[in-house]
Amino acid sequence: MSLWVDQFRPRTLDSLHYHHGLSARLKSLASSGDFPHILFYGPSGAGKKTRITCTLRELFGPGVEKLKIDQRIFLSPSKRKLEINIVQSNFHIEITPSDAGNYDRVVIQELLKEIAQTQQVDLNAKQRFKAVVINEADSLSRDAQAALRRTMEKYMSNMRIILCANSTSKLIAPIKSRCLLMRVAAPNPQEMEEVLNYVAKRAPFTLPPEAAKKIIDDSGGNLRKAILVLEALKMQSPDLSGPLAIAKPDWETYCYKVADLIVSEQSPARVMEVRAKFYELLSHCIPPTVILKTVAERVVEKVDESLKADIMHWAAFYEVRMRLGSKKIYHLEAWVVKVMSLYKHFFYDMDMSSFD
Amino acid sequence: MAPKPSQKKIKPLSSKATVVKLETQPPRPSLNTKKFNPLTAFKVPSSSRKSDTDLPCSSQTSSAGKGKARALPNLRRQDAEDHDDRMWVDVYEPTTEAELAVHKRKVEDVRRWLHEAFEGGPSGTLTKYRRILALTGPAGTAKTTTIRVLAREMGFEIMEWRNAVGENTLSGQFDDPSEFSFGTSDSSSSRTYVPDGEGMFSKFEAFLNRASSCQNLFTTPAPSHVGSFSQSPPTSASTRQRHIILLEDLPNIVHPATQAKFHAALQSLVSSPVSATPVPVVIIVSDTGVRGEAADEQMDSGRGWGKSNDGLVDIRTVLPRDLLGGPYVTQISFNPIAPTLMLKALQAMLNTHFAGSSQAPPSREILDAIVETANGDIRSAIMALQFACVGEMNGKTRKKKGGDKGKSVLLASVTRREQTLMLFHLLGKVLYNKRKGDPPNASASAKDVQKEKMLDAQIKDPPGLPSGLKQHERRASRINVDALYADSPIDSSLFSLYIHQNYVQFCDELDHCDAVADWLSWVDSSGGDTWYQANPHRFHLLTLGTMHSLPSPVARRSQKIVKPVFFECLQKEKDAWGGVRDARGWALGDGTSQTDLRSGWSHAEVAMELGGVLKARDAVMDSALPRPPASHRRFSSLSFALGAPFGHTQTLDETEVNVPLDDSEAEVLVRPTRKATEAEEGGWLDSDDIEEF
Repeated sequence: MSLWVDQFRPRTLDSLHYHHGLSARLKSLASSGDFPHILFYGPSGAGKKTRITCTLRELFGPGVEKLKIDQRIFLSPSKRKLEINIVQSNFHIEITPSDAGNYDRVVIQELLKEIAQTQQVDLNAKQRFKAVVINEADSLSRDAQAALRRTMEKYMSNMRIILCANSTSKLIAPIKSRCLLMRVAAPNPQEMEEVLNYVAKRAPFTLPPEAAKKIIDDSGGNLRKAILVLEALKMQSPDLSGPLAIAKPDWETYCYKVADLIVSEQSPARVMEVRAKFYELLSHCIPPTVILKTVAERVVEKVDESLKADIMHWAAFYEVRMRLGSKKIYHLEAWVVKVMSLYKHFFYDMDMSSFD
Repeated sequence: MAPKPSQKKIKPLSSKATVVKLETQPPRPSLNTKKFNPLTAFKVPSSSRKSDTDLPCSSQTSSAGKGKARALPNLRRQDAEDHDDRMWVDVYEPTTEAELAVHKRKVEDVRRWLHEAFEGGPSGTLTKYRRILALTGPAGTAKTTTIRVLAREMGFEIMEWRNAVGENTLSGQFDDPSEFSFGTSDSSSSRTYVPDGEGMFSKFEAFLNRASSCQNLFTTPAPSHVGSFSQSPPTSASTRQRHIILLEDLPNIVHPATQAKFHAALQSLVSSPVSATPVPVVIIVSDTGVRGEAADEQMDSGRGWGKSNDGLVDIRTVLPRDLLGGPYVTQISFNPIAPTLMLKALQAMLNTHFAGSSQAPPSREILDAIVETANGDIRSAIMALQFACVGEMNGKTRKKKGGDKGKSVLLASVTRREQTLMLFHLLGKVLYNKRKGDPPNASASAKDVQKEKMLDAQIKDPPGLPSGLKQHERRASRINVDALYADSPIDSSLFSLYIHQNYVQFCDELDHCDAVADWLSWVDSSGGDTWYQANPHRFHLLTLGTMHSLPSPVARRSQKIVKPVFFECLQKEKDAWGGVRDARGWALGDGTSQTDLRSGWSHAEVAMELGGVLKARDAVMDSALPRPPASHRRFSSLSFALGAPFGHTQTLDETEVNVPLDDSEAEVLVRPTRKATEAEEGGWLDSDDIEEF
């Protein structure tokens, strides 16, 4: 039994629940015979990947759902072996190059070249090209993106590339200009409710509207998260009635507590405590940018109006540094110390003025 | 060491030509009146070169000639008289455990391992797991000598692999020629020169195979066997001769293909069933220091691929990772020789050497200086001592006073092993942020205060800053950043981690913290994506920035310098990613039972969003649902505990020279020193413990 998110995922463009305009456009693109490279982008849990699979099905027919997993081995320049899992059908191939870490360029180059150089041999195939889906395209390194850019031009006749990313800001301009950009926005609450009810109907059970509302409020536009929470709730209290306590993931509550630590005391000793918490979070695979964002949002809720802008400014400032640097903890900590110092000065100054 | 013609006269250190009679030297008319030159004093005169003592590969000296000797006095007076031109490290090689300057516990560890390897320990089953012993440690810490001494005491033979480079060495490859017929003269003509590593390696494999399986054909040493083992008491003829394989001169591991083959050879050796007469393998790897700069930066990305092309041989390149973490390999790491032990050893050696001689042994000050400069390397200490004694003879004809001082200066300049600033002192210098005119330490003696004043007088005050920048004005620092950089044992990246771990306790105010943290952040993010774009001034910037930001003077409140927990976090994160992969596999279906594979679920999504469902599944305990893999708790469960520090912090010790090496590579699963110390503290391991591996 799989998770509901996967089990009830729509399979065709027609069965998608929202963004009907987008679906119609994708459908006409797929039937036009002139399919471009596409870049899907939008917040997580908005349905990018669902739309990609639906589009592929529209392009190639149901054969695209017969997937198999291949393990491929690539040799890095220093002769290290990289094992990459590749999901593929007869018509498309799906890779997550960020699995290869620093060596994503090798994977991109080798794999794309190989695919591009083989023609589609199935005469019954609806399209003459193969599709390559690249997940997490925004985590591709510069080198890999440059390699991709060249390949996209060179092998256009045999291959189409479908990129999937959260944000276009980390993709280089040449790639963006070679793709048709498709923004998949997060669903609004009505659309989410519709989807949740659909899931409940399929499961099947009846979903009380209050529960649905609570889940949607909590999910922040992330439909995957909403469905996962629904499934977890259903497992915990099968009738979904009464007061529901939506269990946040541990790391989120943890982040909130870290924010409380920052606000409640500002001292060098507290810096050390917060650092230990950050280490703990980092060692649980929570991306540092997410940590910074979650903690910052929580801190902002708790401080005086006049400080909010500054705190967010520094959060953005250290987030950039975090991307440039290699040791994330420095930047997280630098932000914390900055916030503490701002906060302390704020009170110190206020005391002085009221004293006068 | 190419023999220098002894007639060649390099200008002696004293302008006056000195006639030296080495009292123990055999009379050699042509040589006994010559100008004595300290630089060539150790060289064997060409006339005596015929003796085989210096041919490093002859089977006679193969046990002693390695020069790894941690010499302790050995009363072989006639030896010393016959060959006084030999190195003391060879002459006074220890022969019993009591003479070793190694810590007793270490020797005991090795002995126990060997014993278990041969006998199987108390339960008799340990032989299976005692296949490879890896001895690591800095150069000159008596790794090889310990093995040799134990060989004598426990009565086993050492078969050692030497990389052959020519005919000479070929016949001496094996300590016991009787066992390896292909090393003898009949075949050596065809094997005189093997140019390619290929052939070399197949020979190595053959050596390994034969040595580990064929030795029991030769139950007694062959009559031709007159080498080093003649001193070891032959075990009673009825018992089997026991052997170990010693690998010190390894094949060219830096070459990836050879390394792979080497690993494969070791693997097959380990996986082969243990024979009735086990032949354990002892691998000796001397740690080499790393002083990388930008190249080390890639390492921080947690993937550690910068290391592999360094050409650095350490235990992790020698042994494949799964072996190193596995049950068949034991690692014992030797520490630098403690100064007290070394002093005792040197003193004892001098006593033997000068017993009955008219010469006066070198003064205590010189001995102290030698011990200090040797940095725990006893071989270099003995070399220095020998040199000092030679110099002593030289100085004899001159006036007694003043010679001592000059000598220690000379000694320091000649023998000083490249000395790195201890990590502890480096951090102390930066973090205590001493500036000109700081009040002297309360406990400082008047002499120290005077010295500080003298030093301060030499430091120039910086020109004042314009009024707009007054808040940046500081007194001149006592720290010379360039010198610090030159002496630093660690690279800037690791240095920054240490600073980061420790700076907070040196700050008085939050503002100080703020400034240091900002410097750390800035230095880390400066430079480009790739290693060659890395900022080359990181060390300077960080040091100057830290010192600028810290209060001056730093308040003393018994701060403890702690090792960074960064690597521990990295390790935990790695484990957690394993859990993420498991959970992702679970969410995606394994592809066998499900007809349709589900795509989607990036790793980050699993880590951040799947936690709730996984916990709910765990709580429900419904056997109908497929259980998620238990490893998911490594990333999904996080409990908030106030005040609990991350992991356990280790205080940095003043005596630890070797810290950076361990930590900078801590992304590797095994952390050697910590393991070793834990084992030491935990007392003996029972055989039961070992079975659980």
